[in-house]
Amino acid sequence: MKFLRSSALTLAVGYIGLGLAALGLFAAPLWYAWRVTIQEGRNEILQSDALRLTEVFRREGAHGLVSYINTRVGMQIAGERQLLLADPALNVMAGNLAAWPATVPADPGTYTVKLDLGNGITDVAVVHATLPGGYHLLVGRDTARYAPLERRFWYALAGAVAILSVLGTVGGILIRRALMARIDGIRRTVSAIIQGDLSHRLPTHQSGDELNTLSQTINGMLDQIEQLIHGIRNVSNSIAHDLRTPLAELRSRLEELALTRPSTEQTFAEIDAAVADVDRVIRIFNALLRLSEIDSGLRRSGFVPVDLAAVAAAAVDFYQPAAELRGSSLTLESSGPAPIRGDPVLLAQALGNLIDNAVKYTPDQGTIAVAVRRGADAGSVEIVVADSGPGIPENEKPKAVERFYRGDASRCTPGVGLGLSLVDAVARLHGSELRLEDNHPGLRARIVLTQDTPQVTRAARANSEQGGFQHEPVYP
Amino acid sequence: MKVLLVEDNERVTQFVVKGLQEAGHTADHAANGRDGMFLAASEPYDVIIMDRMLPGEIDGLAIIEALRKSGKRTPILILSALSEVDERIRGLRAGGDDYLTKPFAFGELLARIDALTRRAQGENAQTKLEVADLRVDLLTRKVTRGDRSLTLQPREFKLLEYLMRHADQVVTRTMLLENVWDYHFDPQTNVVDVHISKLRQKIDADFERPLLRTVRNAGYTLTSHD
Repeated sequence: MKFLRSSALTLAVGYIGLGLAALGLFAAPLWYAWRVTIQEGRNEILQSDALRLTEVFRREGAHGLVSYINTRVGMQIAGERQLLLADPALNVMAGNLAAWPATVPADPGTYTVKLDLGNGITDVAVVHATLPGGYHLLVGRDTARYAPLERRFWYALAGAVAILSVLGTVGGILIRRALMARIDGIRRTVSAIIQGDLSHRLPTHQSGDELNTLSQTINGMLDQIEQLIHGIRNVSNSIAHDLRTPLAELRSRLEELALTRPSTEQTFAEIDAAVADVDRVIRIFNALLRLSEIDSGLRRSGFVPVDLAAVAAAAVDFYQPAAELRGSSLTLESSGPAPIRGDPVLLAQALGNLIDNAVKYTPDQGTIAVAVRRGADAGSVEIVVADSGPGIPENEKPKAVERFYRGDASRCTPGVGLGLSLVDAVARLHGSELRLEDNHPGLRARIVLTQDTPQVTRAARANSEQGGFQHEPVYP
Repeated sequence: MKVLLVEDNERVTQFVVKGLQEAGHTADHAANGRDGMFLAASEPYDVIIMDRMLPGEIDGLAIIEALRKSGKRTPILILSALSEVDERIRGLRAGGDDYLTKPFAFGELLARIDALTRRAQGENAQTKLEVADLRVDLLTRKVTRGDRSLTLQPREFKLLEYLMRHADQVVTRTMLLENVWDYHFDPQTNVVDVHISKLRQKIDADFERPLLRTVRNAGYTLTSHD
């Protein structure tokens, strides 16, 4: 029953049917052509025979023909040819038939009639000719001698059909077996994955058939999913860890407050500290929400033309006092407007994070250089934030953009460890990436943005061109 | 000042109503969209604090849209747990005047509704601002205190202008970020405080009476009162 439902059976039946149809289409014209050729050839022979006898009659008269026919009949192999000469009253004058057959039509012509040739009634092709003087001439030939040939044709055809059906069925079963074995392999792997073990992969081999290609594609998808799940697991662990610290502090603070019931003034101080703890938790949450908002890619619908040089100028202006406070120099190098398409809010935040990091990690009296330049490719813009701080060791660079990563250098500075991952997320949203390079000494953070972000759909672009709502101030 | 709070969470309601009363305001409260709609449409309020997600058929944004369509111009502050930038934009497009994300500090809420009502009383075409002996001429961009002329950087001028326009009110760091720098995100560090202290150096350092004061747990205020 299972076989009946399998797609392999459908395939096999289809192929057998197709084979039979092809065979039929091939045999039918052959059969027809054969019939026609044989019939025509036979009739032609009979007609020319009749013509020759008529010629004899004309030359030598009825008697001559009678003797000619008799000679022929005497020489003839029995039953091969029927010859008959009859007078106008249809009385037999010569020939190898006992009487003029009643089945032959009265008018001259070529017919196929039923005749009793001594061994039962058979189909005989005859030519009925009238001779001068009202004599009738009949030349005939038994068609039965072609019957074995015909039979053999049909047998051969039936044999071909049988072989085709058997081969098709066996082939179908074999294909189904092979296919089911591989599909079973896939099904088992997928079941294991459904059970939660993401490390399984579909079996693949060297051959480049379609099923193999499909398996490879699915394996690629599984790799991606595994990586994502792994990432989420890491992030959840990090969140749990990073939130536990302020929450633990908050808890102990409140518990202590309830237990010791200190003086009013001290109570208020403790409450303020508790609020600060909560604010820290909220900050981490907000940063995470922001990241997932960016990662979802939805913000791309809000892309508008942005002048990166202006964004950078505003950010440098904003962080200038913070740099001054530490005696560091914060400079901006830019060469005129640098237009791109993007999200001004996110770009400002990303640039702000980079400058903020640079200010934070550069020791006092350091230098921080922000540059916005035209990139190597036409229409591309390069943002560089370089500092003279401790930098990030080569082996830690890939980890630096991970969520909650905090380098050794940053252990004692405030922050939640989401700054660079946010910058990287913003860069990726704009079809780029954050590159961390060595500034000898210090860190060079570099992002190359292109004027035209290919991922932006036309609909999204049309939407954003109707009005860049990012520019709408909260207070008019 | 008469305030309407449309909010379904009891704790938040209690917290806000109590805070508003302590700040000397009268507060009405509606716990669902229908009551909120009814009160907002029938009573005169100075400001409405509207939660976005409300029980019942009508949500906060629908109420705001309906009020604006019927010509009510009461300032509305949207209070919501939906923090995405796009949600904020939707809220403001619907007719809200300001958007505050939960969880929030009460000081932030109070400062923002003060700013909203002040603005509703007339965003004036003033060209001269004055707090005590500190004067700002918006046309010539001249700043003087007493008889001394002060030199300010463009950003410092913008910061001072915002503080002067909201004189005697508390302005929070977030409000300054949004309005002076147009930054709608958390810059992680206390850069705003650094800007304020720089400004303070210029306008207060050499004078006996400080005008720019820090309000604990809230922000800053520029005031001549003690």
